Amino acid sequence: MQSFSSHPGNNDKDVAVTSSALNGLDVTEQEPEVEAENKPLSKNAQKRLEKAQRKAEKSQKRESEAKIAPNDKRNQDDEEVDPTQYLKLRTKLIEEAREHGVDPYPHKFHTTCSIPNYIEKYRSLQAGEHLTDILESLAGRIISKRSASSKLYFYDLRADGAKVQIMADARHADSLDNFTSTHNLLRRGDIVGVKGYAGKSKKGELSIFPTEVQLLSPCLRMLPKFALKDPETRFRQRYLDLIMNAEITRDTFTKRAKIIQFVRQFLNENGFLEVETPMMNTIAGGATAKPFVTFHNELDMKMFMRVAPELYLKMLVVGGLDRVYEIGKNFRNEGIDMTHNPEFTSCEFYAAYWDYQDLMNFTERMLSNLVKELTGDYVIEYHPEGKDLSESIKIDFTPPFRRLSMLDALEEHLSEKLPRPLDSAETHNRLVEICSERNVICPEPKTTARMLDKLFGEFIEPQCIHPTFVCDHPEIMSPLAKYHRKIPGLTERFELFVNGKELVNAYTELNNPTVQRQRFLESAKDKAGGDEEAMVHDEDFCVALEYGLPPTAGWGMGLDRLTMFLTDNNNIKEVLLFPAMKPRTES
Amino acid sequence: MESVQQQREEEEEQAALRKQRMDKLKALQTAGFSTYALIDGELTFSFSQSYSTLMIRNKTHNALELQTTYDYLSPGEQVTQVQISFAGRIKSKRTFGKLMFLTVEDDSGSIQLYVEQQTLKDSFRYIKSLVDIGDIVGVQGCIKRTDKGELSIVVEDWQMLAKSLLSLPDKFHGLMDVEKRYRLRHLDMIVHPSVRQILKQRAQIVSTIREFLERKQFMEVETPALHCIAGGADASPFVTYHEALDLQLTLRIATELFLKRCIVGGFEKVYEIGRVFRNEGISTRHNPEFTSLELYEAYKDYQDMMNLTEELIKTVANQVCGTTEIVYMEERIQLGAPFRRVTMNELVKETLGLDILSFPDIETAKSAVEKKMEESMKDWDSIDSLGKLLSSCFEHYCEKLLIQPTFVLDYPIEISPLAKQHRKDPRLTERFELYIAGRELANAFSELNDPIEQRERFMKQLHGSEQVGKELDEDFLLALEQGMPPTGGMGMGIDRLVMLLTNSSSIRQVIAFPLLKPE
Repeated sequence: MQSFSSHPGNNDKDVAVTSSALNGLDVTEQEPEVEAENKPLSKNAQKRLEKAQRKAEKSQKRESEAKIAPNDKRNQDDEEVDPTQYLKLRTKLIEEAREHGVDPYPHKFHTTCSIPNYIEKYRSLQAGEHLTDILESLAGRIISKRSASSKLYFYDLRADGAKVQIMADARHADSLDNFTSTHNLLRRGDIVGVKGYAGKSKKGELSIFPTEVQLLSPCLRMLPKFALKDPETRFRQRYLDLIMNAEITRDTFTKRAKIIQFVRQFLNENGFLEVETPMMNTIAGGATAKPFVTFHNELDMKMFMRVAPELYLKMLVVGGLDRVYEIGKNFRNEGIDMTHNPEFTSCEFYAAYWDYQDLMNFTERMLSNLVKELTGDYVIEYHPEGKDLSESIKIDFTPPFRRLSMLDALEEHLSEKLPRPLDSAETHNRLVEICSERNVICPEPKTTARMLDKLFGEFIEPQCIHPTFVCDHPEIMSPLAKYHRKIPGLTERFELFVNGKELVNAYTELNNPTVQRQRFLESAKDKAGGDEEAMVHDEDFCVALEYGLPPTAGWGMGLDRLTMFLTDNNNIKEVLLFPAMKPRTES
Repeated sequence: MESVQQQREEEEEQAALRKQRMDKLKALQTAGFSTYALIDGELTFSFSQSYSTLMIRNKTHNALELQTTYDYLSPGEQVTQVQISFAGRIKSKRTFGKLMFLTVEDDSGSIQLYVEQQTLKDSFRYIKSLVDIGDIVGVQGCIKRTDKGELSIVVEDWQMLAKSLLSLPDKFHGLMDVEKRYRLRHLDMIVHPSVRQILKQRAQIVSTIREFLERKQFMEVETPALHCIAGGADASPFVTYHEALDLQLTLRIATELFLKRCIVGGFEKVYEIGRVFRNEGISTRHNPEFTSLELYEAYKDYQDMMNLTEELIKTVANQVCGTTEIVYMEERIQLGAPFRRVTMNELVKETLGLDILSFPDIETAKSAVEKKMEESMKDWDSIDSLGKLLSSCFEHYCEKLLIQPTFVLDYPIEISPLAKQHRKDPRLTERFELYIAGRELANAFSELNDPIEQRERFMKQLHGSEQVGKELDEDFLLALEQGMPPTGGMGMGIDRLVMLLTNSSSIRQVIAFPLLKPE
């Protein structure tokens, strides 16, 4: 076997730079069987080995400061070229290896345990202790490479969110040629498989002492030399973000998975059935938002992506499934910002014979248990302006949550009673005045519903830091919610606000088909008046209601937003693996 | 013409019935009954009140619980000390003067209501005259077994919870034609509890898959459904448009390429259960949107994927069907025994007696097939390699024979652009498909992780293709260049698995709201 270095002259430099380390090893090289058979080392040999290790570990420290292996001239040269050049050099190196019979992309590498398990298994080893009985196989990505000499290499190998050191010593290799060619080929970023024995360095760092290291998949692109902070790159190349910012990014998505799992389990345990309803419909119904439009070729038919699964889920309740839920994607044809992505994940559930009060109690139980299970406490720390800024608040999920009536709160803030009924011209005019008096800009069309929403958003929402149920919205704002059983003009609806942001929206469902038809008609008026987000009349749904929807309560929660709170993120892109991005502009 | 006439008559009949029921609804309201109400009617909650009590619902029992709890009652026996609250939909009504029997059904089953004037006094005449089949009622009372042995609730109080304004289809006529059943799925479900049963089994199947994978430490992720480039499968995508970004997008046809990015990023076991969309015709096996499971595991190959797939299917069958021996469309299928593993070439050899891969060139092979089969297959002229010939022969002659679970191994490289070349034969890939009951259920590979080879394969695939949304996925290649470990991946159609395990012949039976051609 030959060496595949693309810099054939570099070996000389190595020797020059690392001569002292080599001296240390020269002696041990003369007695290679010593450590392999785990006989106690002679004092002299041990000292030399320690010296070599110390040196390597020192260089590791330097390297972590400079992010370049100072002892490995070859790697240093590689990483000093520009990224395009690096890719070329690296591709060439790999092609050369291929020509020499190395498969740079082998089909399979058998691992005996994961790195976290390895750490767990061998954590109790003593510093300097080396096992020789169990051959372990690990695989992962090299996140740093250092060499003490051409016969001693140190790597950090990471997988599954944990890392372990590889201490590759030529004396343990099956052949020196093989050792040299392999380690000349390997670079930071490569995926490798390692077979070897567990042990700890003199300093007590858990390592694997390989008999064999195999390249499993080369990293052809240079990994960023320093921390990867640029959000554009992090979001567009999430895998790079996961590699470079393993702790934080990985943790966010592990937590996301746990959150969704918890919600699912909680609903299953309470007798809810998970269902899947269409994401594509011939009409767009169920929420007030602008849909994506697409086209079915064979049916020659325009179709809309759902903005919410609501109407289908209620039809299932009509059909006799008393408790149903769906966790899935919805689509809204809207701009991208800190809290909006064109596709997002929601959980909606419907329970026959419940009302919105039951939902409030259920919500309290679900969220407080979730927060407690995930964080160990009811109170979380949150940075509203981003993790990097120091300003943080505490959000307390201890039940019960605060409950307030929407109109009461608004009227109290305005110190005036709004005229009733709310759908009168008088109310409308008064709201226009209030908006202008208080410099609240409500974009056209200025419907009563939209102005109320705007005023509430302006004055009340920001006060709802701890989870707060805002209840009893006016009918005109809630076309699918049931009229309040006591207060005319209002509905049995609540929104749960956390840190001033809506997290849950829920209500006693409107199950009276006659009233539902009326509401759709009113909404259609708004639509004709220019409100693009007003709801569309859905006749199929009205027919379903005529077969009788039991008294039912329905609930919807944004899972992305929940994940944002519980992972302390203020940008939705941080909790989506692959957020939608504006197309790259040609530079 | 006659059917138009018939249809008009039906519509008129429905309209008349609807009016009748609307009148009854008004009569109830006039008589002071709340309609579309909640059972408790009263709002007990105020804003000042602190809430710490857990929810206690007014519906105290479901039908199944009642049937089980009071199974011990003998005919004539009554339990007076327990008050039952129950609600559900009326499925049948029999009146005998001052006595009436209603069968009420809920999600769990059904129970009889024993309604007598003696107990209800005045309100008996309303329930007798104004309550119809299809209405949803709430009742209170105690439980007894009638002399005839039927467990019943003796109604002491009742409430109309939702008046059904349309009449349920008559049991005798059955529910309309199949097409209409899918259009009015809620009605289909009311009339045919088996429809609900399939959806429940579907939920159980999906949840068992999740549990199985979680136990093996797979992490569930969500990848985008809106893609800039349609990749990961050979299918026609839906095209849509994002207004704010002024950007044409396609709906995903597979989750593959984004899940592999997760593997590059260092998640070693990931899966996604999610909707994918294909702009294709509707058939008993195809709905434009369907649910797929895709999973990827680093450091595994297609052999490992076979073991995993087999274990998964056995686990789900045991959990959902209680057995690994199932019946699908009259065929007895053994999911318990080890699944057969056989290469595609071997299968074709078995069926046709021809060892396709050993022919020296394509022309000789084609004439041998023609001679043997005395017919030619579709797109015969475009078959220009042994690999394509092999897969055509397999599809044409072998697929339908694979009733018992069979892993078909080692697909030709030309038709497998994302699978890794076979370690022993460069003409093949390390890929398998699982066939059960003559249908493909799963598809898996040792994933191609060499970016240079992947680029070449993409180029070949794109050559001559003019489909929308198909272009070279540079972003994905960039991810591969960062290094993807050797990885095994598997994709499975959830709908098809549900069809198999619920003995459903059409995909529409296992989807809550299948897409239908416009009326």
